[in-house]
Amino acid sequence: MRLELTSWPLFAGIIAAILAIPLLTQDGYIIQLLNIAILNAIVVLGLNFVTGWAGQINFGQAAFYGLGAYTTAIASKSGLPWITTPFLSAVVVIAASLMLGLPTMRLRTYYLAMTTIGFGEIIRLVIVHWEPVTGGTSGLRAIPGISIFGIGPQGQAQHYYLLVAALALAVSVATRVRHSALGRAMIATRDSEIAAEQSGVDTTRTKLFAFMIGAVYAGLAGCLYASSIRFISPDSFSGTQAILLMTMLIVGGMGSIAGSISGAIALTLLPEALRFLGQWYLVLYGLGVIAVIVMAPGGLASVASLSQWRRAGVR
Amino acid sequence: MGQLVVNGLALGSIYALVALGLLLIFNTVQIVNFAQGQLLMLGAFIGISCAVTHELPMAAAWAITMVAMALVGIVFMVLVYFPLRGRPAFLVILTTIAMGIVLENLALIIWGPLPVSLPSPVQGPPLRFAGVVVSMHQLFIFATLAVILFLQFLFLTKTRFGILMQATAQDLHTARLVGIPVNRTIAVAFALGAVLSGIAGLLVAPIFLAEPTMGGSLGLKGFVVSVIGGFGNLPGAVIGGLFLGLVETFGARYISSNFRDAYAFIVMITVLIAWPRGLFGEKSSEKV
Amino acid sequence: MAPGRCALTADTIIAARGVTRRFGGLVALDAIDLNVPKGIVQAVIGPNGSGKTTLLNALSGASHADAGSIRIGGEEIFRLKPHRIARLGLARTFQNIRIFDNLSVLENVKVAAACNKPASFFDILTSNTRHRKREADIDLGAREALETIGLAQRADDRATQLPYAQRRLLEIARALASRPNVLLLDEPAAGMNMTESMTLLDTIAKLKSRGITILLVEHNVRLVMGISDRVTVLDFGKKIAEGTPSEIQRNPLVIEAYLGRRHRHA
Repeated sequence: MRLELTSWPLFAGIIAAILAIPLLTQDGYIIQLLNIAILNAIVVLGLNFVTGWAGQINFGQAAFYGLGAYTTAIASKSGLPWITTPFLSAVVVIAASLMLGLPTMRLRTYYLAMTTIGFGEIIRLVIVHWEPVTGGTSGLRAIPGISIFGIGPQGQAQHYYLLVAALALAVSVATRVRHSALGRAMIATRDSEIAAEQSGVDTTRTKLFAFMIGAVYAGLAGCLYASSIRFISPDSFSGTQAILLMTMLIVGGMGSIAGSISGAIALTLLPEALRFLGQWYLVLYGLGVIAVIVMAPGGLASVASLSQWRRAGVR
Repeated sequence: MGQLVVNGLALGSIYALVALGLLLIFNTVQIVNFAQGQLLMLGAFIGISCAVTHELPMAAAWAITMVAMALVGIVFMVLVYFPLRGRPAFLVILTTIAMGIVLENLALIIWGPLPVSLPSPVQGPPLRFAGVVVSMHQLFIFATLAVILFLQFLFLTKTRFGILMQATAQDLHTARLVGIPVNRTIAVAFALGAVLSGIAGLLVAPIFLAEPTMGGSLGLKGFVVSVIGGFGNLPGAVIGGLFLGLVETFGARYISSNFRDAYAFIVMITVLIAWPRGLFGEKSSEKV
Repeated sequence: MAPGRCALTADTIIAARGVTRRFGGLVALDAIDLNVPKGIVQAVIGPNGSGKTTLLNALSGASHADAGSIRIGGEEIFRLKPHRIARLGLARTFQNIRIFDNLSVLENVKVAAACNKPASFFDILTSNTRHRKREADIDLGAREALETIGLAQRADDRATQLPYAQRRLLEIARALASRPNVLLLDEPAAGMNMTESMTLLDTIAKLKSRGITILLVEHNVRLVMGISDRVTVLDFGKKIAEGTPSEIQRNPLVIEAYLGRRHRHA
């Protein structure tokens, strides 16, 4: 859905607010939380290609996130210059997504769901048990930060701006894809695979492509995660995380770029804001997801776009 | 080696039970319940509450658990099936997963995270023959599976209601049109499906300790079994379950026990690549 | 004249021989032969269940035949994937409307307009000149198709906002955008009133005048007789008659197939 901006002042205001946040709060914890939220947004944006547009259910996104993070951590801890890590992460993730994608693109919904869950589980087991390389359940610490020719962001605030820029880049690529033949092919594949095929779309190739792009988004986000948070463990990339990512997409609005971002940020910040609920948070969260699915399956984006269509006077 | 076979079959029987519960629901309403594992966990804990916390006799504990699980099944149906009728499969999957999360965390709140043990309903010295040890509990598992299969066969083919359920499973709309009490059969499917998983939980807890997070992996193995056997195919599920139990036991012993859970997925992925419709083929068809 | 997608090597643009399709025990298509000359409008009619849609599915690749040979414009297409057949110059519409709900009207048509050129991701990423030119071509082609069909003013509406008859037209516009040589229309007049059917007839005539060969499956026999050059009649998966509309109208086998149903045993 085209991101219609109804007024420039509003847009500028939002940008200003985003940029001003580190000035408003010096609390490193909050800024780190925001950083994680932004990283999640990039991952969910990637998931949107696969699930939101191409309609392929995918519970393996957290595994790609983890593969990117671990590749980067292992590479930079073993002395490779940071600049190589995004490329290495992308390569690993593309290989993994092909391994998973090629045999499974023809599977139907339930089978695809289970296969992607299985894939995620296998990756997690490998990470947990390959201790000498991955640090097992304790994870990896003291990961070198971003450094290009010796220069890199210092402190949470600088990382924040860098990540905002990364997100902006991710959004711009996603928007471009959406308004290109590839993006339309993805959505067509989901809406009616048969009609898409008859219109000349190679749906298998399109689905695979969406899968790969989504994986690359997650892998690169993983690279940034490892390099800015500087500590990773298998828990951050588990099957539970995969489910969480999917719910972020649904709550935010499947198929919507703005929805992906808002869902990710909302569901990253919410558990912190509701920490006082303790274990009950997850119970309410589960019920909340069901409520959203039942009552507003288009997520936040559908609620927002209702008012937008009305305002634009489209009949 | 014979010991591994016995252990594998016992484990496989439990997987088969989970799959049977899953398939009962799937055959009736075409929903794959991703929270089936959590239902198993619930059964185990209800049993523990009765038998351990309140020190009721095992028979009573089992009876209460089965009734409770039937009720849980119906609540499940109300929360999940009715609101989501006609929605795409993808959303149904997410909803059942969310229910699983709700159940798991409720369990954590009620019973805490620590593993708890449940005694077996049968006590006694294990059988020994041909160098193999078969515990009383393992025998009980085999017996339970056999009894359930027999009862299920009787119910579905010989009783009137069972036949109605089969009709509903084959074509829900037509069944409704000819006056079959479709909602009642669906309720029974959910109730029985939950009970079957609850029984599986009561059988698992004496072997592996019960803890609220146990549902995830057991549920997934139930799916894997359903996939291996071909969705909708009950005998296939049993064979698939036993097969998976054997693969896992042998794999853990001869390859690596760390990747125990992974064997299930590897088998499933292999089967799906070679037979996209499952080993025994599924019943549903695609329309153009 | 319409720009051809591939060089036509024969005057018979659809040459199907022995096309057979079975569903379990039911023979939906029984060794059908079909020869459609270039540039005409040929209708396929027959009672319900005679295999008309199955035949279209076999021709378009949506549901492959079990046996037989199908040549479109001289190229053998038996068992090719639908998108490959589409890229050879065959487009179709569906009996149950299958438009892309989550795309706008214009975008729906653009999907087909991009038909022959797979996307290059690099181009998209960099948004280079080649990409922009390609998008402009697609846009132009899509708008032309909408213009021809008469939906140009609804270009930016969501596809789901179109009323029923216009959705059928959208499907035709979409099919047109892939610059086909052959267009398969599956019951395009279903659910249309008199006025809408007349518009449809005009549209079909317009497409024919551009050199597109049209194979039309339709229940509304009167509509068919008005526009078709040739008519093929199917019954129980077999071809029972073929000829000009007036010949078919007088053919006793055809009359019996339509009217004599109740005298037959199952």
